Amino acid sequence: MSEMVELPMMAELLALLFFTPILASFPIAIAWGMHPRPEWARKLPVLSVAGLFVSLCVALYILFNVGELSPEAEPIRYTIQWIPEFNINFVFIFDYLSKLMGALTAVIAFLIGVYGLEYMRDDYRLGWYWFFFNLFTASMLLVVYSDNLLMLLIGWEGLGIASWGLIGHWFRDDDELSYVGILKRKVAGLNMFWSPSTGGWRAISTIRVGDMPMFFAIGALFALTGTLNISEIPWAGLEEKIGVAGVVILLVAFLMGPFTKSAQLPFSEWLMTAMTGPTTVSALLHSATMVAAGTYVFMRLSWYIQPWELHLEGYEYVYILVLFLGLVSSLYAALVATSSLERKVLLAASTMSSLGLMFASAAASYWVGKFAVLVAFWYLITHAFAKASLFLVAGHLIHETHDRFLGGDTEVARKLKWAFVATVIATIFLSGIPPFTAYWIKSGMDGVMHHLEHEFGLLPLALLVTISAIYSGFLGKFLSMNFFKGKKVHLHLHGGGIMSAAYLAMVSMLLVILAVILTSPEEPFSEFVEEGLMASSFAVGMIVLVAYAFGFFKPQIKSPLGQFFGDRMYMMFLNDYIVPKIGWAIAKVVDYGNRLIDFTCHQAIPRMFEICSYGVRFIQNGRLERYLQIVVGFVMLIVVVAVAAGWIA
Amino acid sequence: MSAEVLVISLLTPLIVTFILPAFRPKAATWISAVSFLIPMVVTLGLLLTTKESIVVPVMDLPSPVGEFYLLADPISNAFGFTICLVSAMVALYSLPYMKHRFEEMLHDGEIKSIEWEFRKYWFLYNLYAVAMLWLVYAGNFILLYIFLEISLLASFLLIYMYGYGNRQWVAVLYFVWTHIAGVLALLGILIIGFENGTAAFNAVKAVGFTAWLLIFLGMLVKLPGLGPHIWLPWAHAEAPTPVSALLSPLTVGLAGYVLLRVYMIDSSFIEQYRDIIIAYAIISSIYAGFSVFKQKDYKRLLAYSTVSQMGYVLIALCLGSYGLLGVVIQYISHAFGKSILFMTAGAIIASFHGLRDINKMSGMHEYIPTIANAALLGFMTLSGILTIGMFGEFYILAGLTKIYGFNLAVILAVVFVFILSGLYSFYTMKVIYYGKPAGYERPKFSRLLDAPLYVVAFFSVAFIFPPLATALLSGLKVALGIGGVMP
Repeated sequence: MSEMVELPMMAELLALLFFTPILASFPIAIAWGMHPRPEWARKLPVLSVAGLFVSLCVALYILFNVGELSPEAEPIRYTIQWIPEFNINFVFIFDYLSKLMGALTAVIAFLIGVYGLEYMRDDYRLGWYWFFFNLFTASMLLVVYSDNLLMLLIGWEGLGIASWGLIGHWFRDDDELSYVGILKRKVAGLNMFWSPSTGGWRAISTIRVGDMPMFFAIGALFALTGTLNISEIPWAGLEEKIGVAGVVILLVAFLMGPFTKSAQLPFSEWLMTAMTGPTTVSALLHSATMVAAGTYVFMRLSWYIQPWELHLEGYEYVYILVLFLGLVSSLYAALVATSSLERKVLLAASTMSSLGLMFASAAASYWVGKFAVLVAFWYLITHAFAKASLFLVAGHLIHETHDRFLGGDTEVARKLKWAFVATVIATIFLSGIPPFTAYWIKSGMDGVMHHLEHEFGLLPLALLVTISAIYSGFLGKFLSMNFFKGKKVHLHLHGGGIMSAAYLAMVSMLLVILAVILTSPEEPFSEFVEEGLMASSFAVGMIVLVAYAFGFFKPQIKSPLGQFFGDRMYMMFLNDYIVPKIGWAIAKVVDYGNRLIDFTCHQAIPRMFEICSYGVRFIQNGRLERYLQIVVGFVMLIVVVAVAAGWIA
Repeated sequence: MSAEVLVISLLTPLIVTFILPAFRPKAATWISAVSFLIPMVVTLGLLLTTKESIVVPVMDLPSPVGEFYLLADPISNAFGFTICLVSAMVALYSLPYMKHRFEEMLHDGEIKSIEWEFRKYWFLYNLYAVAMLWLVYAGNFILLYIFLEISLLASFLLIYMYGYGNRQWVAVLYFVWTHIAGVLALLGILIIGFENGTAAFNAVKAVGFTAWLLIFLGMLVKLPGLGPHIWLPWAHAEAPTPVSALLSPLTVGLAGYVLLRVYMIDSSFIEQYRDIIIAYAIISSIYAGFSVFKQKDYKRLLAYSTVSQMGYVLIALCLGSYGLLGVVIQYISHAFGKSILFMTAGAIIASFHGLRDINKMSGMHEYIPTIANAALLGFMTLSGILTIGMFGEFYILAGLTKIYGFNLAVILAVVFVFILSGLYSFYTMKVIYYGKPAGYERPKFSRLLDAPLYVVAFFSVAFIFPPLATALLSGLKVALGIGGVMP
């Protein structure tokens, strides 16, 4: 078995990987809490970033040195005792997915950490920021490398709490720049703007709704199989044990976690208002890594369930659900993104759209096989680098223009040329224009969806092409509205060197991936190239190019439909109106219930005792006369009863 | 050897109780705290080193009482550790808090001397905590009942003398309700005693229906379940905060402990009426969870959250042996979380001149960041995020599958209970600590108002990692006799 592989110093390395970032953020967290605050506190973030760098080194070491980097390689597992009596241990797994994802997380976290050194320099809450930023990185790495579901859940909860903490970072709600939506705007009596503290609350409240069913599924898997290691759970035997309905309930409950975390319909709203957090947070958590963790977990499950080998009914239903939920969410989000006027909200919607594609593509593995998971995974990687770059650029633009809405003409492109260059590369490489990075992967995706013709006709493929076209259209719009045709903006240029360096490094990763795809003979790159060289893929690429050009040259079209899309099809009524209304109505009923019980037990019953006592005291007044009356009364009563009963003839 | 150490360590706080009034407030605080830290270290040591139970005979009494003895198995140690930790930390916290309270009362002319009140306070406080500690080591139902009543009396007096608002009325209310609970339980215990000829844990063979029902109803009042729960918000809100911080985390949960002990002897009652009890528990928990949202008083809010959390205990009790594990862990996690939270409420009361109204709080993180962060850790413990609460939920969910399989209604209900806890937790955080700052001054306060909270929080987090998690869970596995299904 694979466990036999000798892993020298692994425990120490893992400790470094997870604990260094957290420990490195303690100095700033503690110093910031001191009152009065020491002067040197503002220098401590460097230490936190150094902690991230250590993680990066370890993650890269694991990528290149632990086992072979190939989709076919046997996974290597490493176990540290936790609660062995229950067969629950810290089981780390190093396979194709986890090694790449770990390195991706560490690279992006480190680069954004560097960017944050400048971006967050003058912030009022650095201790909080760096603690949660580093806690997030450690949690994400834990999710990535865990094979054990309970251990994964620790990381998963860490993601949730870090996301909440960072979205609500500017808790004072006093800066217009940190809001989402147009201040004071109302639709049908509902506020259409959200403060950071509201954004945090919406995030955690949505995520809890998904996490608890997921937790149930984990508990149930443990009770049913006695193991929690994804790679060991007898997935095939599950259906025999609990039936088709059981499998569907179990897996849907489990996937509620990924669905909410990855903001699929109808849980999408929190991601849009998550943009109230600092841009670094949006870049790291809410586009590149955390939201992708949901799709990653689904890929990891599929990798080991291997539904393409099983052909079981229960799994089929679940995979159909994921496929179409992903596609529909993706379409919804793409439409919303076309009409978004805020830089970050546009990118958030586009992130959601990409996540939908990842889900759909990974779900297609039921019919297509492992290749579909690889396509989804490589799309995740490309998307992460591209979207993180775009977010960092957006952050830089917001920093320089003090405006979170799309805007900027050629002056911006001239004065912030690195931001401009990074945007051009990131948008073109992400939209799927041949022959750039995402084109090859999207071609793979076209192929995967085409495979589904037998089951679902051409519907999935048609949806994918539509989404790709819309997607590239709004990327063109993003470029155009920020650097060419947007409104004139006032620039406050100051510094920005570190920030530019960070996003240029980030965007250059796309070139590296392109080079790998084109040169590597290995799986799955050779398939990507093969798919990309087909005429049909090229045709799709051309459609995407046309859409991009259209978005670029005609970035804004006024129409009521646009307003509808821009208002996210009024999905916020679910979060801000329907659910709270129901909740508050129940709370009201319950409150009345409490008052009633309180009144009964603490007013009515004591009052009754009082009345009884008064009655007793009235009778027992101590006069002989009264007692005689009572005796006579009783005698008469007895006589009456006796006569009535016929005892006295 | 370990038996002697345990007995000495348990005796320490008991002896200290009676000498404590002789000391000045500051010295008494530290002596009290240390007297609980000693048994805390010992119980932790026992948890880490042994899975065997230790039995210390005390005396043999005629039927129906039977043998009095001390029983220290991993369950008792887990409860005992929790009680010691929380009691020690709350003792430290009491010094600045009660000083504030006594100054306030002196100002209102309700007391004459702060030092004199402190002497009374320390005696009652220690008596209260030590009675709970001994309760979980009692090996006889009668002995257990005696400690239950001592803790009730001590806490009643503390509320009666130092509570807020209409405190005498509230104290009597508390006394009457818990006395109903006590009498019902005593009746049940006596029936056990007469039926078995003894009330010692190790000699009782069976618990009849009537006895079970009486104890169950009594503990339902104390726990409390929906209906009788109405005493709890009064008592917990109006008690002086250190007493709330023992009442809510430690005392009410002990009802769960009593039920657990009875269950371990004879589980017939719960098994027979499982469906009704779990339905009641779920409704109770959801009902209380929704009540939280409507509260305007921080301490009342926390009190309703206690009712909701105690619903977990009752749910767990219905879920077989995994559920029993859930009972123990849920007790620990709730004790950690709620003691932190009550102390945060108290810190706000002490630093903002009796501020309790949530409507007047907003963005409090601006003024008291350390308290706000502690409250976050407290609410994380309640909702099972990155803390020991996670294991509580895990075993409840595993037990749910074992007992109910894929019964969708029960699954959805229990999952909803858990979701609701998370929702009210973070809703409260948002309303109180975040948002536009309410416009107060940043107060200066004693380190003892915030440092103890972090000690409790540390253990709450540490308990999900080895070696604590390993020791606790494997010990409980042995004590609860969870069989060898696992490799």
